[in-house]
Amino acid sequence: MKLPLPISNLITFFLQWIWLFVFVLSGLLILIAPLPQSSRTPQKRLIRIEASSFQFTPGQIHINPNDEVTVELVSMDVVHGLSLDGYDFELKADPGQTVSATFVADKAGVFRFRCSVACGNLHPFMIGKLQIGPNQLIIRGIALLILSIVTAFYSVRQIPQLQTRLA
Amino acid sequence: MKKEFLARILVILFILIAVAIPFAGQWLFSRNRINTIELHARMPENGGWSIERIDAVVDEPIHLRMTSDDVVHGIAIGKSDLPGVDIYPGEFVETTFVFDQPGQYTFYCTRWCGPNHWRMRGTIDVSGEGRPLQPEPQPLFVTLDIDIDSPPIVETVPTEQVSAERGANFASLLPTYAIDRTTYLSTSPAVLWMRLRAESALFSLSDQDIWDAVAWIWQRQTTPENLENGQRLYAENCAACHGETGKGDGVMVRNNPVWDPGNHNMDKSSGSFTGEGFVRPRDSSDPKNLLGTSPALLEGKIIRGGMGTGMPYWGPIFTSQQIENLVSYLFNFAWGFTPNENLD
Repeated sequence: MKLPLPISNLITFFLQWIWLFVFVLSGLLILIAPLPQSSRTPQKRLIRIEASSFQFTPGQIHINPNDEVTVELVSMDVVHGLSLDGYDFELKADPGQTVSATFVADKAGVFRFRCSVACGNLHPFMIGKLQIGPNQLIIRGIALLILSIVTAFYSVRQIPQLQTRLA
Repeated sequence: MKKEFLARILVILFILIAVAIPFAGQWLFSRNRINTIELHARMPENGGWSIERIDAVVDEPIHLRMTSDDVVHGIAIGKSDLPGVDIYPGEFVETTFVFDQPGQYTFYCTRWCGPNHWRMRGTIDVSGEGRPLQPEPQPLFVTLDIDIDSPPIVETVPTEQVSAERGANFASLLPTYAIDRTTYLSTSPAVLWMRLRAESALFSLSDQDIWDAVAWIWQRQTTPENLENGQRLYAENCAACHGETGKGDGVMVRNNPVWDPGNHNMDKSSGSFTGEGFVRPRDSSDPKNLLGTSPALLEGKIIRGGMGTGMPYWGPIFTSQQIENLVSYLFNFAWGFTPNENLD
């Protein structure tokens, strides 16, 4: 018995599974395709962050890429600091002495800012979040989730046909 | 047989040496530290300074080895111009103090470490030979018998922004007592304004002109350097309660109610340790408050503190020059002058 591998068999195999390739390819596309950049013109922003033990208020900040951000750090009880991950940006404030500094948000993404001066027991947990531009990870994640659900339903419909053909 | 005996002796010797090294090291270390005082700084709620009284002898240095157990603290000696030393948690910092005059000194925390930060104070008793510390001359509010708790009396306030530059134009018209330093110290701007208004020589001037002249009188009693020093002292020590713009809205008093004579209640004792019954400091940028107080009264308030209002007493901390600078700076709030922005 020789192996039945004629070209026509290969073609039918490929046609049977082409939907899977389409899904895998679109999944990769969702993962790596660049999203359209927001066309909002950069603006100057003044953000006043109040640091108390052991939180920043506001703890979540959402800005657009290339905004010129002036951060005003107000300490409410003891000496606190603010250092922003991914940027060379650090502030240190005593109560009663507001400090401010400016940076240009030229890197998009989600960055944490942390207290940089030991301020007590829970100092390591004094963290805030700065989101620059849309949260790409969550958008891509939702798109992938929808795609995988569609794939699941589609494959359930496809596989019985496949089985009957093979039989 | 003899060789083996020697070998055994050697082994025992080496073991003894190995055991002795840590002990010897510890002994040497403690001998170096014999004059060193280990001082832990903690928030006042957690005990404050671990040592609150240090005894010293004239001209004998005190070595302090300090660390913080919680937040950033600092140490400085009251009534001295030496810069403070910052104490960070997890780090040891060493400093040496030498006193050349016997007497009692105050050391205090220089960085805000909570609402009770100012309670972190301790004393250093310096004994020995030498000229003792000069007792401070009695502050002016005592010699002038000023009641520093009396409410300020302000009948008129400037209707527009005062300008000391404009006021300088009227300098030649002013009577001699007006530019006298004792008048400046003992008189509030509002009272001086009323006296000048009553002068017949100044009849041609408008009310605003006289306010400008009073502002000029106040400004000429200080220098830009002193004002800068006052601004720095205010930012470091006062702004946390009195607010960075003097409005009495500092971060430490934000939850306290605004002072209102109507809700004053004698039954409720204010000034308890928990801060119950505390109100916010008065708004210094409101001319009705500060223009009715004389420099001597302000100096008295700073030296004595607020007596149950939560305002600490700064007498053992500030030199009289520092208090003078601070008072000069405070009046800028009442005049509405903007502070120097370029100060760091």
